[in-house]
Amino acid sequence: MVFLRSEEHLARWLEANGWEPGATLSASTLNELARSWWWTRLDPGWRPRSTAESQAILDDLGLAGDFWRLT
Amino acid sequence: MEAVDLDVRRQVYFSIVAQGRPPTTAETSGALDLPEREIAAAYRRLHDAHALVLFPGTTDVWMANPFCFAPTPHRVTAGGRTWTGTCAWDALGIPAALHGDGRIASACACCGDPLSLAVEDGALVEGADVVVHFLVAARRWWDDIGFT
Repeated sequence: MVFLRSEEHLARWLEANGWEPGATLSASTLNELARSWWWTRLDPGWRPRSTAESQAILDDLGLAGDFWRLT
Repeated sequence: MEAVDLDVRRQVYFSIVAQGRPPTTAETSGALDLPEREIAAAYRRLHDAHALVLFPGTTDVWMANPFCFAPTPHRVTAGGRTWTGTCAWDALGIPAALHGDGRIASACACCGDPLSLAVEDGALVEGADVVVHFLVAARRWWDDIGFT
C-alpha cells in the first residue's frame, strides 16, 4: 500500500499503471489501523493472532466488504 | 507455533530494537545458546508462518514487520533511530510498535514528491490530507507481501 498526495494523484497513478482501483483510506484511518495491528508486535509474550482476531481489527475500523476479508 | 520459534522471534525483534538491524542466525545462536542450524530452521519456520520474511533463498531477514531491511520510499524516525517501513501501513506501524511518536518521510507513489506525516501521542498530527491506497485485497496480501 502506498501514500499519495491526493485523490487526483491516485487516479493518475492507477491509470498510468493500468491498475484497477483497490481500496482508499485516509492517512488518519491507516494510523488507527496501524496502532491496532502493530501495537503488541514487540510484546515479550507475543503470540500469533488468529485470523478471526485480525479480521475483528479490520471490522472494528469499518473496513468491511469482500476486499477486507482475510479468508 | 513452537516455543523455540517464539523464543527465536522474540530475540530477533529484541535485537532489531536494540541494534537497529536484524541479527544473523549466528548471532541469535549465540544469544540463545542453541545450534545455528536449529536457529536457521526456526527462521525458516517463522518465514513460513508469516512471522518474519527472509530474503529469497537465504536466512537473512528482509522484514520483521513493521520493520523492513531493504530500501523502500518510507523512512521512519522513531524510538531514537531511523527505520524503513515496507509500505505505508508498516511505516505508521513502526511508531505504533515502539509505543512512541514518529515522523515519516515518504513520497507520493504518483509523482515522487516528498510527503511528511507525523504521529504524536498516537494521533496523526501531520499528513492527514495524505491518501492511502491498497491495490491488493486482504486475502491476497501474502501472495506477495512486498506488493500490496
